[in-house]
Amino acid sequence: MLKNKDLITYLFILIFGLSAPFIFPAFKVQLSILCILIVLATTWNIQGGEMGYNTFGNILFYGLGMYLCASVQVGMFFPLAEWTESGGEKTFVHTPAQFFQGMAAGLIVAAVVPTIVAGLIGYSILGLRGHYFAICTLGLGVAAGEISGGIEIIGAGQGFTTPPFPDVGGLEARGEFFYFLSFFALVFTFITVKAIYSTRFKLILNAIRDNEDKAEAMGIQTMKYKIIGWMVSAFFCGLAGGIMGGLVGYIDSTDVAFDGREMGVFMVLMAILGGKGTLWGPIIGATIFHIFKEGFWTFFLGWQYVALGVLIVVIVIYFPEGLMGWLREKYPEKFGEVVDEKDRKAQVELK
Amino acid sequence: MRVKNILITFFSALAILFSTSVVSLAKVVGDKIVLGAAISLTGKYSSNGVHTQNGYNMAVDRINSMGGIKVGGKTYKFDIIYYDDESNPKRAAQLAERLISQDGVEFMLGPYSSGLTKAIAPVTEKYGVPMVEANGASRSLFTKGYKYLFAVLAPANLYLDVAIETAVELNGGKGVKIAQAFEQDAFSQDVRLGILDAAERTGSEIVIDDKLPKELNDMAATLAKVKAVKPDVLVVSGHTKGALTAIRQIAEMKVDVPMLAMTHCDAAKLSKQHGKNAQYALCASQWHKTLTYKDDFFKDGMTYAADFEKEFGYDPPYQSAESSAALLVFKDAFERANSFDQKKVRDALADTNMQTFYGNIKFAPGGQNVDKPMVLFQVMCDDSGKCENKVVAPLKWASAELIHPIPKWSER
Repeated sequence: MLKNKDLITYLFILIFGLSAPFIFPAFKVQLSILCILIVLATTWNIQGGEMGYNTFGNILFYGLGMYLCASVQVGMFFPLAEWTESGGEKTFVHTPAQFFQGMAAGLIVAAVVPTIVAGLIGYSILGLRGHYFAICTLGLGVAAGEISGGIEIIGAGQGFTTPPFPDVGGLEARGEFFYFLSFFALVFTFITVKAIYSTRFKLILNAIRDNEDKAEAMGIQTMKYKIIGWMVSAFFCGLAGGIMGGLVGYIDSTDVAFDGREMGVFMVLMAILGGKGTLWGPIIGATIFHIFKEGFWTFFLGWQYVALGVLIVVIVIYFPEGLMGWLREKYPEKFGEVVDEKDRKAQVELK
Repeated sequence: MRVKNILITFFSALAILFSTSVVSLAKVVGDKIVLGAAISLTGKYSSNGVHTQNGYNMAVDRINSMGGIKVGGKTYKFDIIYYDDESNPKRAAQLAERLISQDGVEFMLGPYSSGLTKAIAPVTEKYGVPMVEANGASRSLFTKGYKYLFAVLAPANLYLDVAIETAVELNGGKGVKIAQAFEQDAFSQDVRLGILDAAERTGSEIVIDDKLPKELNDMAATLAKVKAVKPDVLVVSGHTKGALTAIRQIAEMKVDVPMLAMTHCDAAKLSKQHGKNAQYALCASQWHKTLTYKDDFFKDGMTYAADFEKEFGYDPPYQSAESSAALLVFKDAFERANSFDQKKVRDALADTNMQTFYGNIKFAPGGQNVDKPMVLFQVMCDDSGKCENKVVAPLKWASAELIHPIPKWSER
């Protein structure tokens, strides 16, 4: 019974997702960005929510993926340095086959390399805890932005124009292509994360969050699990970055790729808004956040950041545990938590 | 699990929200031609964004009040939908998409800065929306094969190479020592490429080659090096903030250098804000009010400057002038195309060959304006401390003679 109901929900969402670009053709870009935001929030939640490690460094993998995907896509067919410098009169145009092959190869690289990087740096950084970890990862994103802004072959401060979408399938093709790409990235992320959350792995992450020393004393190799967790996040962040790069069409080192000031903070905010440490929290958080942001931007032009600030204050004051946390507190039985009336009464009386 | 029910309700609400908010304006409503523009009203380019917007508005009012645009025997008026791109390329690309697919705009005006133009161009290109832009000078914009992009300005690499050539000439044809510092952004890095080319051509040597961060407000490290190395020319480019920071710190640190070449002096209102401290700075400009170009709408540069000052209360920087020119180009193209068909308008734009108060406009196949040279002016002050920008090169328009080398701070 329960299983059936779940299945219906997922089917409903899947159909909604697949038909969305046709129902709201004008909103394809916003919907694609929403998918990317959900991916970022969901993967941040693995660290910030389940493991209790507030990372600001996931933007590193996102930016890395973005640069890698575009570089591979160009580099497979043209000299990369000439593409980014573009000083000469030469123009480069991808044929449709080149574009899609390049994109596919680029996305694979964009997902795999950040995963390896996460493994390498994770070994040294994940030894830090609490605020030290947060600040160290914050530095990672900022450093990456500055360094990439100095590398000539990827355009340095000039930025990197990703290959324009080839002339196939009419006007709507580009929007639909990137929407489905981001939607499948989202589905892929969701399935993976859900699968992970149903295993012992999640319990270990929670144990690390609740008391890392005790977890270690229990014989859990916490470092190993922390690194694996981060690698999973890096994989999807890199993928999201690669798609986003193609979608935006222009990569700037600090404003688009290693955009810690916006994306880096937003992913944390979205997870907290929806309720960290839950599967659906980041998804709902990202959706609400995105709608609010787009709405403010249309209706309060010039005041959008003020409105966003007010939203954050409201969240922190009234929903410190996020929307899912708030719902859980109000209707615990709906979350499958058994409430013993006698026990609850006893507790109230005790107070 | 009831949570799932909540989710279903949530997603349905979302669906309803989206479907009711789809509004589509046609590009030509009644007698209005609606143009779209994403402009930096906030963020690091906000001051230049406003210059751009003022330039657009000025031209819209002028064209509308002087009879509008005649297409197919009917008279139309311009109208512009603005959005704030927050000086962020990602936002700019999204807004372009939004202007075109949600607001139904079929003709676009450019944003401020090369980086943002680079972000918007792929979108306009995809939809075949002609865009006349006035503030994206990076030459890589013109080598991507864009067909719907037209820039009324000269490419960024030409901004300061006149300065280097002048310095070499004054040095008796021998190469000079150049110190340069550029912001890490598309435009300034392109100016840098232009300097590198000029240095190679003239056999000059680059002794300092620094990069400045975005949001820059300190370049003391570069200036300390300049003091030690003593180059012949110091080149600085970093939009408005770069110009302001450079002048402020050069004066504070009393850096002596024979020639100081910059961009964005007029947008930063250097001669007003820093007065004598800005004296002798050499600036690249797309336009100056004393140039002798003419058109029917703004008459000439001096009249434009006076009208602009009356309307907005400050002397127009070239960013405003070129933005106004973009609308003159659009008007001309619409009338020659005699249609609102995007392809026809695009072809008419490609055939543009006209003179405006801002300069001659003729587009190369890549979309850049090839018929308008850059000018160099120098900030000059009289004894009472009143400073003005005077054109010193090219000689054809020069209203004053270049003061070189810059007197030492101890002698000022």
